[in-house]
Amino acid sequence: MSKTKKLGEGTYAIVYLGQLKADPSSQVAIKKIKVNTEYRDGLSMDAIREVKYLQELSHPNIIALHAVFSSKNQNLNLVLEFLPLGDLEMLIKDSEGIRYGTAEVKAWMGMLGRAVWFCHENFVLHRDIKPNNLLIAADGEVKLADFGLARSFSDPYRPMTYQVITRWNRPPELLYGARFYSGAVDVWSMGTVFAELILRVPYMAGNTDIHQLELICQAIGTPTEENWPGVSKLEGYVGYEKAVTVPVRGKDFYLARFGTAGSVGVDLLMSLLALDPRKRSTARQMLEHKWWTTDPRPTAKEDLPKKGGGLEKMGDDLKRRGGEVEDGRADNVARKLNFGAMK
Amino acid sequence: MPEMTEDDIYRTSTQYRIWSFSRELLLSLRSTTNESAAEGVKAALHAQKAAEQEQSSKQDSNGSPLQEVDCLSVDEEQKLVVFYCVQNMRFADFCEFPTNVKATAVQYLKRFYLSNSPMTYHPKEMMPSALFLATKTENHYTSLKSFVSKLPKTTAEDVVAPEFLLTQGLRFTFDVRHPYRGLEGGFMELLALATGKGQSRPDNGASPTQLQKQMEGLDPANGGNKKSRSAEEVVQRIQDAHGKAKEILKTSALLTDAYFLYTPSQIWLSSLFVADEPLARFYLDFKFPTPSTMKPKLLTTLGTCANLLRSSASADPDDSELKELKRIDKKLYKCRNPEKIDLFGINKASEEGGT
Repeated sequence: MSKTKKLGEGTYAIVYLGQLKADPSSQVAIKKIKVNTEYRDGLSMDAIREVKYLQELSHPNIIALHAVFSSKNQNLNLVLEFLPLGDLEMLIKDSEGIRYGTAEVKAWMGMLGRAVWFCHENFVLHRDIKPNNLLIAADGEVKLADFGLARSFSDPYRPMTYQVITRWNRPPELLYGARFYSGAVDVWSMGTVFAELILRVPYMAGNTDIHQLELICQAIGTPTEENWPGVSKLEGYVGYEKAVTVPVRGKDFYLARFGTAGSVGVDLLMSLLALDPRKRSTARQMLEHKWWTTDPRPTAKEDLPKKGGGLEKMGDDLKRRGGEVEDGRADNVARKLNFGAMK
Repeated sequence: MPEMTEDDIYRTSTQYRIWSFSRELLLSLRSTTNESAAEGVKAALHAQKAAEQEQSSKQDSNGSPLQEVDCLSVDEEQKLVVFYCVQNMRFADFCEFPTNVKATAVQYLKRFYLSNSPMTYHPKEMMPSALFLATKTENHYTSLKSFVSKLPKTTAEDVVAPEFLLTQGLRFTFDVRHPYRGLEGGFMELLALATGKGQSRPDNGASPTQLQKQMEGLDPANGGNKKSRSAEEVVQRIQDAHGKAKEILKTSALLTDAYFLYTPSQIWLSSLFVADEPLARFYLDFKFPTPSTMKPKLLTTLGTCANLLRSSASADPDDSELKELKRIDKKLYKCRNPEKIDLFGINKASEEGGT
């Protein structure tokens, strides 16, 4: 194995392009995790989470970890699948250069859904699903990456931290400080990705956690005991005056914005963005939805739109630590390095 | 798309791919590790002796010849590792860590010592590091400072220095699949059956009430003579079995080679066999109502696993066991690899890019 080119460097990791010595045409990404000089508690939680889960999850829509090796200075090196075509965020943003429609969105959402279903089937919560964690392989296959915030399902009565998932993709239960939650948090994030793929801008882009909740109330409806039994018991729940309560948005509201997805597509979107996590679709139910068998058929992966410049993007995407975002999406960071709360 | 079964999913885990073995392979791995460690110890001690003799011959040429080093056997290594697994469990209990942290830390030690010998790295020094790593991998992160404050005579360096070595020995796989959730699920199912709320399987003709009656007619557990005659008594019996099985999973299942040889579901079902065999047989009959080729195979496997669990070293060693352990530890004192004793120094050197 040799490193041939540096693709990106961040505070957390350096990403190189690599190849097998025996086969120079083979390509891999090597993510070298930096020894954190400020963190004296040994191997960091991000690195542990990422290695732990990628070692277990082997699926066509999850970035493959080929090997882990240690180099001198006790650096951890992750040999990852080479994904040269950037990420979904890049395609969404390039509304001038990249044209796509429902068939393409269906293909991408299908791949995302299968990845998340597989995580949940293995009792893993990803907790940071967003367009720039969805990388694209040379053949157009979408791969879920960045498991720096992932964890196994908690045992009953064991609390988890709510400081996860990038704000724009964070579900209302986490914004209200829920400490007991399920795969439904990732499903909400999939709903926001679905909406963003159609609109080509983030659907609910809050500046603060409070603002995020306001946007959810406007776009989806105000969470109340009627539409979400038990919500008022969540630590961070704020009561709403009757006068400002927005009723849960009906199908017409969604059709007006997301009509291109078709009536059945809108049904699926609404089921992913249900306020009450118990009523929200599961990843499995999502894959069983009739949207997949409704016209148009999803585009074949090799016919999906592609964009150049993905190499550097992969370097940028992989060098981040889980929950971290680049400038421009600033102040949108889920992570707080509060490990005491991260149980 | 073909459905993935639970077994298919388990087979993708590192616990299955990397950490599951046949008995023969496990033994041969340990023998290889023991032999190469013994060679390392002998070579290092010879080198040390030679250096000493060179020093002393300058003053006095009467250096004593090197005696043959008496190295630990595979069996002695195993006893020592198991003892430090017990110590690890006690320490985890003292820190009030949850069961999965404790259980994972023990498996880390057992996995590490498949490819490393106590003659090279003393388990006493690896133990705190294994427990600390388990708090991180099992989402029970405790700051190093507070972790160390609970340990007697241990510094932060003592905990962190062996960590990288440990992760290498673990081949950078951190996930350990435990039998605890399976056990809880199984007992919830048994309780439902006992109270007439059992879900009849499509291939099982018995109604929930019939299943409930069958349970009341079961032979008593482990040679007892009192049958449980009412639903309440059956529930009590299930709770007793649950307590016993859980205790087995928290001790014997961890200290034996069960995790290397069997799957989590085989382990918990075997613990049920040890705790209450008639109940275990009823449960399997419920799961396999029609004749299947799988059931006799499974029963054989569960039988050997149950025997393994019964043969476990005690989680509370008695005087004679402690005496034996002291003997081994004393022997180890003379056959430790002198080049690997200073873990802190080795760690520091490799962090700085040396070695």
